[in-house]
Parts: sequence; C-alpha cells; structure tokens
Amino acid sequence: MAERRADDVHPPYLYPDYKSTRLRAPVQPLVRVPPSPLEVTGPAFPKAFVKESEADLTTWGRSAPLGEKMVLVGRVLDGDGQPVRRSLVEVWQANASGKYPHPVDDHDAPLDPNFLGKGQVLTDDEGRYRIVTIKPGAYPWQNHAFGWRPAHIHFSLFGHAYAQRLITQMFFPGDPLLAVDPIFQSVPEAGRNLLIADLDLEHGIEGVALGYRWDMVLSGQRATPMGV
Amino acid sequence: MPKKPTPSQTVGPFFARELLWKDGGTVLFPGRWDRITLTGCVFDGAGAPIYDALFETWQADSTGKFPAGDDGARPYGYGRVSTDTEGRYAIETVMPGSFKGPRGETHAPQISVSIFARGLLKALQTRVFLVPLEAVKDDPLARAIGDPERLRTLIATRDSKDPKLYRWDVRLRGAGEAVFIEY
Repeated sequence: MAERRADDVHPPYLYPDYKSTRLRAPVQPLVRVPPSPLEVTGPAFPKAFVKESEADLTTWGRSAPLGEKMVLVGRVLDGDGQPVRRSLVEVWQANASGKYPHPVDDHDAPLDPNFLGKGQVLTDDEGRYRIVTIKPGAYPWQNHAFGWRPAHIHFSLFGHAYAQRLITQMFFPGDPLLAVDPIFQSVPEAGRNLLIADLDLEHGIEGVALGYRWDMVLSGQRATPMGV
Repeated sequence: MPKKPTPSQTVGPFFARELLWKDGGTVLFPGRWDRITLTGCVFDGAGAPIYDALFETWQADSTGKFPAGDDGARPYGYGRVSTDTEGRYAIETVMPGSFKGPRGETHAPQISVSIFARGLLKALQTRVFLVPLEAVKDDPLARAIGDPERLRTLIATRDSKDPKLYRWDVRLRGAGEAVFIEY
C-alpha cells in the first residue's frame, strides 16, 4: 500500500471495511513525480457546454420532484484560498427516496419521474457556484449487514489543471449514518469535516428551500498548480 | 497558510448517465491528424474485468502542443468513457507527440490517464506510452520508475495487423500491476 503523507486528508486506496477496495487498491507504492507540463494544463469547457438551467435539478420534470428542496452555495478554491474561476462542477445524486435512475441500482425504492439527479455549473469569477436540488435520501448497500449510505451529493471538479481533477462526495451536518459509513470513515479524521456542508439558511429561499454552504479546495495554486 | 484540500471520495457505481458525454471516446483536436485508437481492459486484483470504471484521458496533439480551447461544444484533448462488461475501454484520438519539460527533458509520446471506480477512494493516475520501451527510457516518469519490468506496464503495444490500433491493459492490483503516480 502506498505510504501516507502526514498531512494527507485523502483516504487510502485500501480500506478493508469498504469491501470493494480489497481487489481494486494497488499494492505497489505510487511513484511520485511532478505533474508534467501537460498535466498543469487542463481542458477548457466552452460556455455552451453548460446550460444555466442545469444548475437547477428541480425543474427537469413536468412538476416539482418529491423531497426537501435545498439551495447549495459555495466556492471552489485552490490551495492558497484563491478562487478557481470558470471551472466545471458536475453534481449527481439519488432522489429523495435514495434511488438512482440507474439499471444496476437494485434498491427497492421508487423512481421520481420529476427528478433526474444530475446537474452542472461553471464557477463564476469569484469561484462561486450555486445549485438548487432536493436533499437526497439515504439508501442501503450490500457492503455489510444493515449498511446504509448517508445522504450525499457526488461532485466532480476539473479545476484549472488536469492534475487538480477531483471526484468526491458532500454530506449533511448531523447525520448519524456518517459514524458508521466506511466510505466517509475512510477519510483521515483531520479531513472528515471538510466533506460536510454547513446549514446556511440565508442562502435558502424563504418559505421554499433550505440553504446549505460547502466550499471545495483543489490541490495547488493557479499559477503553479501542485507546486511545480 | 495553505488550505487543506477537499478529500477525495469514490465515484461509486452510478455515474454512467450522469458523467458520460456523447462521443466522449472520440477526442477532439483542431485540424486534421492521423487518428489512432487506444483500447484495452481494466482488471482487478483477482484478474476479473472492472466493468464500472470511469476512464479519462488528457494528451498533447501530434506535434506535442497542448490542447487549448474547444470546438464550440466540447473541450479539445479530453477523453471520457466508461469500461464495458468486459472491462474494455476505447479512446479514438490522435497520436500524441513528445514534448519538453521545464529543464529541457523530453517527455515521450504519452497520454495521461485517470481511472475512477467503485472501490477506488481516489483516482488512479498514470501515463501510458505509445512508443516502444526503448524509446521512453529518457522520459522523466520512466527514469523515476527505473525497473523495466514495471515500466513495461505503461507501454501500449501496436497491433501487428492494424497499425492504427494500440492495446493497453491495466491491472489495478497484484501480478502485472500498472505503475500509478502521485504528484
């Protein structure tokens, strides 16, 4: 297994309580190299790639989806706290019943014809993003007896450089399932709070939607991603 | 005071309808270049195909120039596919050219690859070379690896019948395990 850096907040590859890691985690240590000049550049997503409507996951169907409507705001920052501007943020999630519209999701829960559970947005000049959605439901999984995933929203980020690419999950404050979720618990203790959104009522919609806030930090700095 | 990065989490099994792009396996570049296909299978530590991996690529064009811009709809230079039930991926693209590093070192023709999957709590990143072993020895990653047997796990082999086809299988764990990198 790859050795750990002392300040590493990322999970290890091998985390036996999350069973799928046992056959997929590499055994050999990773080879550490600086990002190549290619890898400090990254794909440029044209404006037309993202439609404004894709930031609102609740308007896809003929009527409103079931569930607790929420607004999520936050910023994407680099390691110096500088905004990551005009970068792609992709989100996807289960519906309010904890069901994905995916053929291999065998959770016996209803699909919501008004909820597709996917969206995307480009950060603005301050690195900010805002999405409107419903709170996803928890769902059972077969990793271990009585296992349930805590409610979470998947995030995929491109940053400014290929070397900053990140896929992660956002969780909700106060969720008792966090303490027993091997995927969340795989993160070293120092990093766990970084995956939990804050309640931020003022960014909700009065009488309509709860507000949450979650900032994300990518590796490296804009001028010199990953310290190269 | 540098900020702690947001920890990585697995992409999970349910991403195909959410993340895949139409024609994401066709990598776009401005201008006309000879096209090649990089294809192979991704295997786990038991030798079983990984049928639910997200496979992404980023590369230079055939002159070694890095992609910039887009065709109006999608960025140049980026490939994004999932593996199929046999663990197979395929990326139809241009032959990447070599490029120079900041100290004048030459990076051999290569494609940067990120693999995400259920059971991968963070991406596996590596670089696949599209030239024979003898032609990559001075590449910075090849030098960092040293051992030619390990380096061989990153060499795509050109098909003997179809010169436009390059094959590269990826074993994530155990015998024949590919070299993966961190920054």
